[in-house]
Amino acid sequence: MLESFFSYIEWIELETFFSGYLLVYAIIHLVASKPPLTSFAKTRLLPKLPLAYALAGTLYLGLQLKDAYPDYTIGHMAASVQLPFLKIWALLSILFWIPLFNKKPVFSLLHSSVFFFLLLKSLYLNLFTSAADNDMVRNSMKIYSVSIILNLVALLLVTLISLLPAFSKKTST
Amino acid sequence: MKLLSNSRIWAIAVIMFSGLVYVAGCTRDNDMLVPIKLTQPFAPNRGNAILLPGNMTAGNATEWKLDKAHSSVLWSGAYIGAAGLLTGRFNQFGMHNVVDAEMINYVTTGQPLKDSSWSFYESDPSKTHINGYVQINTSNTGEPGRDGGCNISSLGTTVIVTGTQNLTVTNLAKIRSTKVELDPASNGYIVTLELTWKGLLAQPLTKTLIGKLNYVPKSTPTGATYDVFGLQLTFQFNKADFGITSTNIGDKISIECNMNFNNK
Repeated sequence: MLESFFSYIEWIELETFFSGYLLVYAIIHLVASKPPLTSFAKTRLLPKLPLAYALAGTLYLGLQLKDAYPDYTIGHMAASVQLPFLKIWALLSILFWIPLFNKKPVFSLLHSSVFFFLLLKSLYLNLFTSAADNDMVRNSMKIYSVSIILNLVALLLVTLISLLPAFSKKTST
Repeated sequence: MKLLSNSRIWAIAVIMFSGLVYVAGCTRDNDMLVPIKLTQPFAPNRGNAILLPGNMTAGNATEWKLDKAHSSVLWSGAYIGAAGLLTGRFNQFGMHNVVDAEMINYVTTGQPLKDSSWSFYESDPSKTHINGYVQINTSNTGEPGRDGGCNISSLGTTVIVTGTQNLTVTNLAKIRSTKVELDPASNGYIVTLELTWKGLLAQPLTKTLIGKLNYVPKSTPTGATYDVFGLQLTFQFNKADFGITSTNIGDKISIECNMNFNNK
């Protein structure tokens, strides 16, 4: 269980940015395996998933920088971190901008599964144990919903941006 | 890795699981908060002892005698009504229903009247009754100057005459139980009693009060050939009701009677 209010806030931020990716990935994966959207999903959406994930990670980094403003010294930033390992793991998602890492979308899936399973753990604790609290479950589900939307929008943005060169080429000819 | 890339099972599982959690989260109510029972209802543990004074015949083990030497009547009240307790005791007291004809001076150093106006039925309090009295001028706070001085005038009585037991109306405060009931919260009893005292009034006043009676069960002291038991009565009264206006002590006076009996 999270020990303090501040760690809970950090946990919410992490889950908001990363927990929904697994479901988005699963949906795209399913869509890609079923006609008639197979080819579009396979060629356009599936390869963009790691980039969408990297975009979510970049947005998360932006939030952390905004939180740390105006003191960006390492001492200050380190002092305010409650869940250092999870934060570092989350920031590693930015690496998916690099072609070496985004070549295989399944890596991003594995990366985000950490956050998904943390959400699962929280839901399990709040649904089935003696510390059960339905308000916490609802809150977690809201976070999960926001995360799904954020990751869908990120995928949409990345796909649109990737389509832009082809679209502009088409219009110019 | 290949399994994750190709199999659709995990994808279906994730989607289904998400759906299930949404359903659970939206339909589940918080558990009812059941108050924890911290204390069990009181279970009385009373015997059937019947303890009577009879004729108080010496040597009759079925007749119980008040052991005055080991008993006490204590009083306490807040000093000047606001500070710690001012306490004292009555040196002379008894368990007799003092009727008007008996309210006189007795030339004796012992008990002036038989301490036989009581009965105790452990499981049938309707048959239990208590009578008692104190001699007001024997109030003892451990300060002879106060006990034989201002106390006498403050309480409307007269000084002690050596060798005389003063049970006259000005020096007598007495109680009489009118009802004794089982206390539902303890092994004790709730006593409705009447306190009669003249105080500084023109005539004796009788006030109805509620007190608590505890029974200390009969037992045989180690190495003794007789039995003992105790009755403890506590109650409070307002001294202003009896015209006592002294500001040295608060109006609320607590009384504790510790009566020990034996069957020697």
